[in-house]
Amino acid sequence: MSSLPFAFASPAVLLALLALPAIWWLLRLTPPRPNREVFPPLRILASVLKRDETAAKSPWWLTVLRMLAAAAVILAIANPVLNPRQNAVADTGPLVLIIDNGWTSAPDWPQRLTAANALLDDAEDRNVAVSLLLTADAAHDAVPVSADVARQRLTAATAQPLLPQRAAAFTALKTGLLGVTPGSLVFMTDGIAEGERDTTLNDLATLQSADIRLITDTGDNAIAVTTAANNADTMSVTLTRLNSAAAQTVPLTAYDSRGRAIGNGTATFEAGANTATGSISAPFELRNDFARIGIDGLSTAGATYLLDDNFRRRRVALLSGEVSDQTQPLLSPLYYINRALSPYADLIQPRETDLSIAVPELLAQKPSALIMADIGRLPEPIYGPVKTWIEQGGTLIRFAGPRLAGAPAEDPLVPVTLRQGERALGGALSWSEPQPLADYPASSPFSGMAKPESVRVNRQVLAEPTPDLAERTWASLADGTPLVTTSTVGAGRIILFHVSAETSWSNLPVTGDFVDMLRRTVQLSRGSAATGNIVEATTLAPYRLLNANGALITETGSARPLTLREGAAPVVSQDNPPGLYGSQDGFTALNLFGKDTTLRPLADAPSVVRETLAGSPQHALKPALLTTALLLMLIDTLIVLFLRGGLKWTRRAALPMLLLALSCLLLPVDPTKADDSRPNESQIMDNLATTHLAYVKTGESDVDTISERGLAGLTDWLTWRTTLEPAAAVGLDIASDELSFYPLIYWPISATAPMPSAEAVSRIEAYMRGGGTVLFDTRDQFSSLSGNADQGPNAERLQAILANLDIPPLEPVPPDHVLTKSFYLLNAFPGRYSGSPLWTESRLDGNQSQRSRSGDGVSPILITGNDFAGAWAIDAAGAPLLPTVPPDDVQREHAFRTGTNIMMYMLTGNYKADQVHVPALLERLGQ
Amino acid sequence: MAPLGQTVEKTRAGNRLLAARESASLLPDCLVDAKRIANTVISGWHGRRKRGIGENFWQFRPYGEGESLARIDWRRSARDDHTYVRDREWEAAHTLWLWADLSESMRFKSTLALDSKEARALVILLALAEVLSRSGERVGYPGVMEPVAARNGAERLARALYHNGATTVLPDTQMIRSPSEIIVIGDFLDSPSDVLESLSQLARRGLRGHVLEIADPAEESFPYAGRTEFTDPETGQTLTAGRAETLVDDYRRAYIARRTTLGQGLRRLGWTFTTHRTDHPASQALASIHTYLSGGAGGMTTAIQGRTP
Repeated sequence: MSSLPFAFASPAVLLALLALPAIWWLLRLTPPRPNREVFPPLRILASVLKRDETAAKSPWWLTVLRMLAAAAVILAIANPVLNPRQNAVADTGPLVLIIDNGWTSAPDWPQRLTAANALLDDAEDRNVAVSLLLTADAAHDAVPVSADVARQRLTAATAQPLLPQRAAAFTALKTGLLGVTPGSLVFMTDGIAEGERDTTLNDLATLQSADIRLITDTGDNAIAVTTAANNADTMSVTLTRLNSAAAQTVPLTAYDSRGRAIGNGTATFEAGANTATGSISAPFELRNDFARIGIDGLSTAGATYLLDDNFRRRRVALLSGEVSDQTQPLLSPLYYINRALSPYADLIQPRETDLSIAVPELLAQKPSALIMADIGRLPEPIYGPVKTWIEQGGTLIRFAGPRLAGAPAEDPLVPVTLRQGERALGGALSWSEPQPLADYPASSPFSGMAKPESVRVNRQVLAEPTPDLAERTWASLADGTPLVTTSTVGAGRIILFHVSAETSWSNLPVTGDFVDMLRRTVQLSRGSAATGNIVEATTLAPYRLLNANGALITETGSARPLTLREGAAPVVSQDNPPGLYGSQDGFTALNLFGKDTTLRPLADAPSVVRETLAGSPQHALKPALLTTALLLMLIDTLIVLFLRGGLKWTRRAALPMLLLALSCLLLPVDPTKADDSRPNESQIMDNLATTHLAYVKTGESDVDTISERGLAGLTDWLTWRTTLEPAAAVGLDIASDELSFYPLIYWPISATAPMPSAEAVSRIEAYMRGGGTVLFDTRDQFSSLSGNADQGPNAERLQAILANLDIPPLEPVPPDHVLTKSFYLLNAFPGRYSGSPLWTESRLDGNQSQRSRSGDGVSPILITGNDFAGAWAIDAAGAPLLPTVPPDDVQREHAFRTGTNIMMYMLTGNYKADQVHVPALLERLGQ
Repeated sequence: MAPLGQTVEKTRAGNRLLAARESASLLPDCLVDAKRIANTVISGWHGRRKRGIGENFWQFRPYGEGESLARIDWRRSARDDHTYVRDREWEAAHTLWLWADLSESMRFKSTLALDSKEARALVILLALAEVLSRSGERVGYPGVMEPVAARNGAERLARALYHNGATTVLPDTQMIRSPSEIIVIGDFLDSPSDVLESLSQLARRGLRGHVLEIADPAEESFPYAGRTEFTDPETGQTLTAGRAETLVDDYRRAYIARRTTLGQGLRRLGWTFTTHRTDHPASQALASIHTYLSGGAGGMTTAIQGRTP
């Protein structure tokens, strides 16, 4: 049977085929059952009936049909399998199973596991030991073990975001085998050659194993991004692939630091090429936000390219020689630079006007570029730090002006030697005309930009002609005099615009070309990251690492700090998996593949049996046979119905019936639709239907009762007074219950209750970050006399809880806060007690913090000590449970109003805050 | 596929009484033509348009010699010089025998019909009894009920049928002693010669008859198709037709031939023959029987062919 690609799982059932003749005999003998009809005028009928019309037996073709159905059922039960798997493991020695669990193996890792497990089963059948090697793992243990142990090791193995280290694995294998000749050697490989000269297969051949089987995948996963470069208008991405046969278009997506897709592009491999360059077009600002480039539908570490700060917005420091005069901004040179660069760069300006203080202060902020507009001279001690900064990679951009024109010639911070004074073009005493710009030289970063037609230069500083002036010139006037010159100093660069940054010398600052020129200039400067100035080896701690699926994870595992050396690009290794190294403030990206890597297929070797990972899959024929039998029976039913004339009455309905039957057959049935409910779903749907107030169950029954009754009281109040009609209050176990349904969770703090677990607190934090609000109530406004002078035990507990939470700065509700006017106008927020302020998220200044918070500016946290629930609590009859302190019905009324305002604030956000603009709006409308 | 026809439960005569009343109320009082019943002496409510014993005034005539003095109407005679005798109208009742075939085959009802044949026959029977009783006729049922003249003749008949169900295939003629009329209701699916033979015995004894054949639409139109096994409800005999739809034409021809033979034979006896299908309302059959009884359109001796499909 082994030679046939066909086997029966239970061949004994085939004996039932012997019964077929008996079935045939039975079927032939049984005529189709007639309709039975009572018919009184039988005698009349008898006189006209011809005897020979009655069929005593079934027609032969009907019998054949039924026989076929019976045979199909019998065959189906025998469970035939097409192309059954065969055990090809040799029993002469241990099975050597080498698995490449490198970066390409992640998408089809389960498939690899299945194939490997099948091999282990085979080895167990043959009773041979197994030597299991995972090439991308750090440690290799090649000593043959039982299949069972190997299976356990295999279960624990995962795909790694690394390149396989086959040489090390081979060495380990040789050591582990101790000279035993292996039986079968199975190499489950990703098919990628290791380096230029790959000797893996030849090495394996030296083991003299009984056979070598190479199990390869399709290689479709082996596409990697090798470089990404932020060009002038696109992000160009270079890719390499293993399968170079067919042309292929790969979709690319760029993600920002939060994982949102913000750019798309494609790269197209020509047929036969294994590298391709694609591009992602996006506006400059958006490209600055790119943190990661991935290939759509391919989640491997190789298909993900991490970008670091070298691609980020530049920080640019601005310095001006004149005192900034805000009343006449159009005369200030910094005004134009500011307007040109602010969309593309972070601009910083000195707070001090004293340059000797301002410059070091600016340099301390590590700018990428320093722009000095019309500064003739710097204080003497400043030159040193500025020069050092430039040599370490800084970019100094200078603009000319009257001061520079009047400065002494030996300025070290200009790229070319300048003549004293400036040159005026056009004017009363000049015959020359204001000059336009010439075409940009090809070596200039401005090349590619259109020649500015509208720019006219009236005045400039002139460079002394030197032999290398032409190559230092990035832009020049139509008469050849340089307009923009540059020179490199150390790792940095000095760029000089020979005109001023305002409109007195030229109209350049008011043209769009000024923006483009500045943008490109700044783009040339190096990032401000820690990598910006490598002088000696630095080490960077792992910050975020790529996992095998190409996702960034915080878990750094056994990764070690990355050592950066000047001139040597860091390389991915076991100790340094791909990822981001550094810290949140500055990191460098370590990608799996360096520049100009190409993927090559594994060299072929003789006497190697090649198989594909998918193999030739087994096909169980049982479903097909059963379906055939069912269809045959269906046809049989239809025929019998037809023979009995039963179909006659359906003639009218025949077409719709037929269409219905056809559509039933054709409609694809999605088995996953069968059951898509999840546990507790109905409860969740109930909770979604109405708003619920919720409180945290502390585990102390008296506190929980008051919370429950308090929220019930507030619910009644809200139903009575507002259009909000909440359903019954819900008590929550924050460690396990789903929190996201509730706009507000009331948390009475009780020092005697057990401290919530770290997981529970982190759930609360996630809830707050997701837009929910927690109202902490220490309920101890007047009880602090018992403990120390400052705070009671409840407040201490609250502090302990909050210590684990990432909470924003707090402030007592200011008088103009939305909480004071979201429903009632309130100026205090009493509960059972009055006097404790209601703490809310501090609004800091302006919109900065509002924007960063989700949830429409609603504070994620409210803290009070006034025991709100105590004031709200009512019994079943609606009478208050607890007295207010002091006993005062008005205070209770205000407590309810406070609750109403809080709920309205939760549900409407800053809606009421807009009312502060009403006077301004009315005024603008002229009313 | 559910069978077209079925044998339904035997109908209780009492249940049908109400339906019969409803049908009967649609008809005017039945005035049975008395022409052929001259010898009947039992007084009834119908004036015979001639002198005779009765209660209603008919005519005054001059006193003849030898007549009883007691018959002189002195009040009339006092008006002039002659003596008058007051004649009364001869009033006589008529005896009508009703009979229906309530055998097994009559209990057949197809899905096309409104009622089983038996139910329909009972309705018509009782409706006739009601109409005739109302007109003062004597109504009897051979073998079940002696003729009675009573307002509640229908109820009596229903009760009598309820107590001793008569299912003999043809009328038990022992009770019929004098020349009267008989109304025979049935499906007459036996061979026409048999039917005619038994009926002709009655005719020979001077009975005038009206025959109402009740047929189920399924029996008339033969709507069967496909392989069908037909069962005779009375004998249990079965017949299997391979493709019933091929038999339709032949069957219909045979069925109509039987009916024609029967109708002609009855006409020769001077009887009337009416057919009625159970998918038509019962009042239709009742109206035509009533017409015959009243001696109206169609004449006494004209057998009217029932509507044939």
